[in-house]
Amino acid sequence: MTKHEFEVAMTCEGCSGAVTRVLNKLGDVKFEIDLPKKLVWIESDREVDVLMETLKKCGKEVKYNGTK
Amino acid sequence: LGSVSLKVEGMTCGSCVQSIEQRIGSQPGVIHLKVSLEERSATVIFDLSQQSPESLSGAIEDMGFESSVPN
Ligand SMILES: [Cu+2]
Ligand SMILES: [Cu+2]
Repeated sequence: MTKHEFEVAMTCEGCSGAVTRVLNKLGDVKFEIDLPKKLVWIESDREVDVLMETLKKCGKEVKYNGTK
Repeated sequence: LGSVSLKVEGMTCGSCVQSIEQRIGSQPGVIHLKVSLEERSATVIFDLSQQSPESLSGAIEDMGFESSVPN
């Protein structure tokens, strides 16, 4: 599985909670969130676009930092 | 027009409120929207031909917050 790093403009636990729920709903992903650094690492075989669109559902700005 | 007050769980601050207001407020058929952090609710006035309490609640769920239609 590929590990991707995304920067998500999260500002509070409501944001990281929302990111957690949308990713759990998507399924087939393993992820880690660092709220202070505004980073989300996702391990998944899904397309980056799909992961990106899923993260954007939270209504926050999302940037892809590449694979890690 | 229809009006509904939905329950919303998982918001912790003003920025949570703002992101819901921005995203749900821009959905088709949403005429007016007031989100309250204290009351954990979203009160929506909407066009019945384009939205329903269930579709609005579903849109909030889709953003990663828990939402339900009160009985
Ligand atoms: Cu937040
Ligand atoms: Cu918040």
